[in-house]
Amino acid sequence: MEKYGPTRRGATKRPADGGARADAIVVEDLGRTFVDRRGRGAGEVTALSGISLRVAPGEVHGLLGPNGAGKTTLCKILTTTLEPTTGSARVLGLDVTRQSRAVRRSIGLVFGGDRGLYGRLSARENLWFWGAMYGLRRSELRARAELLLERVGLADRADARVDTFSRGMKQRLHLARGLVGDPRVVILDEPTMGMDPVAALDFRALVAELREEGRTVLLTTHDMAEAAAVCDRVSLIDRGRLLMTEDTDAVGRLLSRYERVVAHGVSAGLADRVGALAGVVAVRHEADRLEAETELPSATASVLAVLAGEGVHRVSTARPDLAEVYLHLVGRRGMAVT
Amino acid sequence: MYPSPFHLVRYGVLNAVADFKATYTWRSWSFGWLGRMLAQVLFFTGLGGMLDHPGAVRYLALGNALMTCVVDTMAVVATTSGERRAGTLSLLVASPADPMWVFAGRSLHWPVSGFATASVALFGLGPFFGVTWAAAQVPLVLLLIALTALGTYCVGLFLAVLVINVPRLRNVVSNCAYLAMMGFCGVQVPVDFWPRAVGAVVQAVPLTHTLRALRAVSDNRPAAEVFGPVVPAVLTAGCWLLAAVVIFRWLVAVPARGAGTLDLSY
Repeated sequence: MEKYGPTRRGATKRPADGGARADAIVVEDLGRTFVDRRGRGAGEVTALSGISLRVAPGEVHGLLGPNGAGKTTLCKILTTTLEPTTGSARVLGLDVTRQSRAVRRSIGLVFGGDRGLYGRLSARENLWFWGAMYGLRRSELRARAELLLERVGLADRADARVDTFSRGMKQRLHLARGLVGDPRVVILDEPTMGMDPVAALDFRALVAELREEGRTVLLTTHDMAEAAAVCDRVSLIDRGRLLMTEDTDAVGRLLSRYERVVAHGVSAGLADRVGALAGVVAVRHEADRLEAETELPSATASVLAVLAGEGVHRVSTARPDLAEVYLHLVGRRGMAVT
Repeated sequence: MYPSPFHLVRYGVLNAVADFKATYTWRSWSFGWLGRMLAQVLFFTGLGGMLDHPGAVRYLALGNALMTCVVDTMAVVATTSGERRAGTLSLLVASPADPMWVFAGRSLHWPVSGFATASVALFGLGPFFGVTWAAAQVPLVLLLIALTALGTYCVGLFLAVLVINVPRLRNVVSNCAYLAMMGFCGVQVPVDFWPRAVGAVVQAVPLTHTLRALRAVSDNRPAAEVFGPVVPAVLTAGCWLLAAVVIFRWLVAVPARGAGTLDLSY
């Protein structure tokens, strides 16, 4: 099932040799611990543990997980603002610890929220400033700033002070800022946080454009719909550990064994019988509505047979989406902060 | 291509201009800031009038007028710590640029403001206290004001990187620094008033040397007495800047990467 590269949307696939040298991002056995200074006595908190991940050039890779899962820690390491405790990470073949300056030249970082911009500068000046940080010279800088302002829909507010912007506008400017250095690898850490739904849709279109341009994108999010819409592959991460990396569609297929059966007109006794069937992993029964989750296709058939045998005909089955995959793999902790 | 320090300072000035525009209008600078600084000069110089010491008024007028630019330049401590509050520090560290040069450029409005403040104090207020200048002295005085502003700006940059991880100390540190300079560097009383150890320590402060040079200009002393202190003033300023660069790179950025104290802002 393991596939590499943005196969869903027709970009490059991993070469037959495994493509280790060609990978845009290579993370090997990466670990990071922090000293926990809260409370009495210093303990260690493990933010990342033994993470290994490869992202092919041109791939849009989603990193999914609840708050505190370790997504931002991984982003920090890849952007050289944090050193790993163990293991290694390379971006475009450059080691993030030993060749950090060269790595910084090749990456663009965008994080969510409305901080990280100079509020007293205009949008255009912000892009000039950040472009200068990437060594862009005057004419190139100005041309690129105009292009990006147009691209993120801020051209008509280019000369307005950023502290007059809405949160969504700031987030769009963040995206432009992340791209101003023309990075080959773009790291987007919860980039749509604070965006309105229309802007979030525009963001998806922008990510698609980045893919078309051959840029590699690592996107952290806990928005399942966003990941499903824009990512070629997703990695699920929880409590600092990588649970799985799969093609976005394949993740859904993998979870077909977790098919859900929904039925109406079900008594409590019948719900108990369904819950006792082999392969049924969860049952919820409210009023006369039953929701049963199965982990094997044969179990779904058994549930349907039992329900039909008792004269229950208002029955439907649902295919899992990415959100369900996520919930099955990380449990019902959901967005809880650890 | 990696950005050069000059390139970074130049674009850092974008922030300096924007900050200054956001902080002052020409009215609030003239009648607020400048007025306050001139009042400070008048206060201390007026105290000199109560002393039974010939030359005390001129001494205090020169010292306090030049000191006004230091009050301005110490504001670099607060504006630099603003990078962390704004969430831009981690982005600067994640860029190919050396953030230290951005810091150097983004607060340059303070030495410019300080230069203007001290110039008005010396040329506008000075004559009321017997501090007058011949036309030939004016360029030298302006040079010494500029050197004082830039030299103490370098001291301020050093202090700024020291407290960048503890921004709550920014105002305490900048206020203590300028009060210490005001007390020990020859502004109110001669340096040799203090114990020798203090006199030795203040030789590391550019203000001590530029003030000595300014007094030499005012007293029409030989060129050697004017230009002699300029050399240590420039050297000490350079040392503070170098120390700021080294400390930021090796004692702030590198340990922060290790400890994980550079937040990606939320």
